Amino acid sequence: MYDFNIEAMYPFFDKLPAAIWTTVEISFLATIFSAILGIFLALMRRSDRLMLRAIATTYVEIIRNMPLLVLLYLVFFGLPAFGIVLSGFLSGLIALTLNSAAFMTEIFRAGLIAVPKGQYEAARSQGMTRSRMYLSVILPQILRVSYAPLGNQIIGVIMGSSIMMIATVEEVTAWMNNTGAVTYRYFEAFVVVAVVYLVLCQGTNLLRNLLGRLIFKSVAAGGRW
Amino acid sequence: MILLEFGGTLLRGLGITLWISWLALLLAAIIGMIVGVGRTSRSLPIRLIAQIYTEFFRSIPTLVQLFLVFFGITFVFNINLSPFAAATIALALEGSALMSEVVRGGIQSVGAGQREAARSSGMRAWQVELYVVWPQAIRVMVPPAVGVYVSTLKASALASVIGYVELMQTGLFIRESVRGGPGGLTVLVAVAVLYVIVNFTISQLGAAIERRSSFVH
Repeated sequence: MYDFNIEAMYPFFDKLPAAIWTTVEISFLATIFSAILGIFLALMRRSDRLMLRAIATTYVEIIRNMPLLVLLYLVFFGLPAFGIVLSGFLSGLIALTLNSAAFMTEIFRAGLIAVPKGQYEAARSQGMTRSRMYLSVILPQILRVSYAPLGNQIIGVIMGSSIMMIATVEEVTAWMNNTGAVTYRYFEAFVVVAVVYLVLCQGTNLLRNLLGRLIFKSVAAGGRW
Repeated sequence: MILLEFGGTLLRGLGITLWISWLALLLAAIIGMIVGVGRTSRSLPIRLIAQIYTEFFRSIPTLVQLFLVFFGITFVFNINLSPFAAATIALALEGSALMSEVVRGGIQSVGAGQREAARSSGMRAWQVELYVVWPQAIRVMVPPAVGVYVSTLKASALASVIGYVELMQTGLFIRESVRGGPGGLTVLVAVAVLYVIVNFTISQLGAAIERRSSFVH
């Protein structure tokens, strides 16, 4: 019978907060950057110009069908070939962002489709500039549709961030691997890491639901979002 | 041209990738079917257990599961798993969580009225499931199941991390053999292109099935 010994993990707990912080940091940054990129790509997919549509569609199809690990290797080994040498963290952040942007595009595109054409026309006829129209009229409506899948994508980014250990990013999965390699207690290390990921993911889920209730309640009551 | 020299090797790697992801998908479908049916069960404990299973494996990154199976199981049960076995099990666990959602969605898409009508026309419970619910549910399940296959195929690249030689690892080996020269990058790009072509084809197939099987209710 295996003797489960969580105490073997204690000496390594001092490195855990930094690892968790790295996971949170890279996931947070990748989420923000990919959301911005995703909004632009989604707008490109709805553009009148064939060229812009083609670029955005090709981007989404390529990235969606490529494993994140392959993308990471391409960034990690590819950029130095062009004389750009980045830290592991930056390479990981770029790969994670490029990957997530494709999924963000689809999420925002679904939101864009849900906004009827009349909304654009009404906003324009009120004399709004294009940017004002997007910020005040279109984006709030997109968010309503895109809000729930956005939460899922954030969890997807957190899951994906575990692969960044390949690029020597010292995040939670790297902590598990290092601790397991030193103590030969992979199972205990797994239990610790599993708790961390469960808390991060379910926490994101909870936060989304609470925040969603708050935001959309005030919108439903006629308030500004 | 490095691709002429190593093209055959890469294609063999692709074959292995397809094979292990098929195997994992098959296992995932079997486990996912059991868990998915469990999630629509009338008994609360069964529903709860099934839901915990799904949430648990969906909230743990594939790479972590891979390490758990490959290294963890080795020490806990004192058995040595080959990278192939470990990767298949880890991918199947991950896929089964996704698959259980697909199965649950499929079963729940069949209206309650269908069951009631079937029961009231004298069918037994198993007949209702076999002749009324599942034939309709499967049509709904196929397109998302194709999606699960694509995500399993993508996740299978992670098997390279524990040393299983599939497409990704083949590409990395070739890259090493040319000592990271410019040809090495070409090989990585070729690996990426192969993944994209295969996954894109499968996705399009799934979309085609969806178009054909969608019917007006």
